[in-house]
Amino acid sequence: MAKNLPVVPTAKAGSLAEVPAGITWRIQQPVILETCNMCLDCTLFCPDGALVQQNSKIVLKLNLCKGCGICANECKENAIQMIPEYSGVQGVFR
Amino acid sequence: MALSIADLPKEDLFGPGHAGCGGCGAAVAGRQAMKALGSRTIVTIPASCMATLGGSNLKTTWQSPFYHTLFEMAPAVSSGIRAALEAQGIEDVNVVSWAGDAGTADIGFQSLTGAAERNEHMIHVCYDNEMYMNTGGQTGSQTPMYAITSNMTKGKTIKKKNMLAIMEAHGIDYVASASIAYPLDLIAKFKKAIEKPGFSYIHILAPCHRGWQIPPEKTIEFARLAVESGLFELYEVEDGNRTRNYEPPFIPVENYLLPQGRFKNLTQEAIQGIQTSVNKHYGRGE
Amino acid sequence: MSTTLLTGSEAAAYGAKLARIEVLAYYPITPAFPAMERVSKFIDDGDLKTRFVRVESDHSALAAALGASLAGSRTFTVTNSQGLLYMTEVVYHTAGLRQPVVMAVANRALSAPHSRFPEQGDAISQGASGWIQLFCENNQEVLDNMLQAFKIAETVRLPVMVNYEGYIQSHTLEEVEIPNQEKIDQFLPLNRVRTLDVDNPQGVNTVASPEFYMDYKFRQNEAMEQALTVICSVASDYAKEFGRDWSGLIETYQMEDAEHAFVAMGSMISDARIVVDELREKGQKIGLVKVRTWRPFPAEALREALKNVQLVTVCDKNIVYGLGGALGTEVKSALYGQTVRINSYVLGLGGRDVTTEEIKQVLELSEKTEKQTTASEWFGL
Ligand SMILES: Cc1ncc(C[n+]2csc(CCOP(=O)(O)OP(=O)(O)O)c2C)c(N)n1
Ligand code: SF4
Repeated sequence: MAKNLPVVPTAKAGSLAEVPAGITWRIQQPVILETCNMCLDCTLFCPDGALVQQNSKIVLKLNLCKGCGICANECKENAIQMIPEYSGVQGVFR
Repeated sequence: MALSIADLPKEDLFGPGHAGCGGCGAAVAGRQAMKALGSRTIVTIPASCMATLGGSNLKTTWQSPFYHTLFEMAPAVSSGIRAALEAQGIEDVNVVSWAGDAGTADIGFQSLTGAAERNEHMIHVCYDNEMYMNTGGQTGSQTPMYAITSNMTKGKTIKKKNMLAIMEAHGIDYVASASIAYPLDLIAKFKKAIEKPGFSYIHILAPCHRGWQIPPEKTIEFARLAVESGLFELYEVEDGNRTRNYEPPFIPVENYLLPQGRFKNLTQEAIQGIQTSVNKHYGRGE
Repeated sequence: MSTTLLTGSEAAAYGAKLARIEVLAYYPITPAFPAMERVSKFIDDGDLKTRFVRVESDHSALAAALGASLAGSRTFTVTNSQGLLYMTEVVYHTAGLRQPVVMAVANRALSAPHSRFPEQGDAISQGASGWIQLFCENNQEVLDNMLQAFKIAETVRLPVMVNYEGYIQSHTLEEVEIPNQEKIDQFLPLNRVRTLDVDNPQGVNTVASPEFYMDYKFRQNEAMEQALTVICSVASDYAKEFGRDWSGLIETYQMEDAEHAFVAMGSMISDARIVVDELREKGQKIGLVKVRTWRPFPAEALREALKNVQLVTVCDKNIVYGLGGALGTEVKSALYGQTVRINSYVLGLGGRDVTTEEIKQVLELSEKTEKQTTASEWFGL
């Protein structure tokens, strides 16, 4: 039996955010430090919309983050640090 | 009044969950531009990384209407969309075609020049990563001289075609260059373009770390170095008046070029030649 | 209703006007251009409120029509030959996106060598594209098929080509009855489907994985099969309203007791009617099967129509190189298993005349030919 599909090949708006495509590749993730001065630059430099302003904080939506490290590289205050995703007996995947 | 990030919409109309590489410059461009364009925007994207990463099967990252078109036709499709909106009396919708450098300057050029000549009420965006990334990174007309690509392993031997000048020659309503390292400048340019009754062309430098052979976290950094060295000028042309939006500090071009893997064959002589032509462009002494 | 002298081009243009198309896009080509110019004139004269997108190429013409269709407008384009080949990529794409675009095609031969003359090779080249294809025998049918085309397209959500031959039809005046606009408005009410809609956003044509692609294609083909029924019901609804019955898929003429059937499509049909009448008078048991719908291919209807004949003569104004005439080949496959002699002829390429005389000669030749040694024989060299 053929699947029931939309007549016109279409996708539901915004639905990809529910199943983030890239996070399985992530080998590192950002940690936002206290020294953040809320310049908000990282919210516009993140390719994935993973860093968002919530009240007076930058919050990481980990399920969207691919761990590219742009935020840490761009932060003028050095307030973002990348930490390895995996550790333990097998060590860090690099 | 100057734009500030705090005043921009928080909502992401494009980006979350997209299927592109981590650190993709094209995706950054998309996120930034949509902050200005807003949800009442119909975007057409021809074959390219940006089209592919938009979604697959029943899922898409786009919150606003997005159509993955054939390679050479996004500006023509957008012209048709605008005609339909006008026929139906719908006036408050932005119509955008958004293509890579091949979809803009090479295979897509015919439909682009057509739509621009008709001064269609729409915006065409070229996100320029200077090669054909979706097919593995081949050379095109927007690849700079000397750059190594997957099909020109010794580097390109001719210059990059100047798309901004070509589009300016169409006499359209608005022409601007932008870089993802200067998001507020980029967003301000989109806001201007929206207000134009006719055709706008925005050319965004959007590095691809894979093609450029740089670390993914340096995507924005290289988009900035290109501007700071003077190699990529931020400017706009409105009513025939050309305005430079940013005075570069003129860091040496080699600071931009040499760290990129694709320029690893650059000779000192070639670098000198590039530096001289930048200096000449800005009217600076030798 | 009023009757007036119209060329096939004008008939197509009147069809577009009566259908109240909202967006028009085309790129000039001979011999389709008079149809284009006529619709533009309707717009310039204020007789038609349509947006015209003056594109820079045939590829962009269909692209613009497709964009407008996705945004919910009824759209129309016109082309032929090189223009149709140039837009081929978009032709397939439009069908895959299930957009009810209607395209008039003034059939013309393909280069090389360069030719501006009539032939059906252009339409045949798009036989696998997923477009419904109707062939018209005269200018009245061009107009009527245009209106039925929009109805069919919007019902099954597939694009439709309305084929008429260059010059033979596009440039020849015939008496055409122009239906009344109000009645057309009832027959063809505005049926707006917005796929690209800011109030109901969707992503269109996202990449399909092997898990999905084939299912989409199955559904697309299913719509083609559904069209077999819809084309017939639209034809009979139209006949009830406007008094002209072009039949749906095929039309049979003098077939009741026929032993020999002539099968073809397009302009040859009106000549063949005359030939059949003439030969009937001489006592020959001959009949005519007009293939009006070439895609979807009416195999079942043809099997039924041809079940009692002994000889079938198929004529094609096209050639599929290394195979034969397209219709001939397909009729043979449709009649597979039936004991009937089928002779297939390729003729009239690139504007070579096919008059009643040639048709008579082909029929004679076919009666004398026990078994063809090639898939199709060339006639008229
Ligand atoms: C007609 C046609 N020819 C070739 C292709 C293959 N193709 C798909 S994307 C692409 C390159 C896209 O390059 P660009 O526009 O620079 O965007 P990028 O992928 O680099 O972001 C090519 C050659 C195609 N899809 N369609
Ligand atoms: S190859 Fe380059 S342009 Fe394409 S998705 Fe990856 S980073 Fe982006």
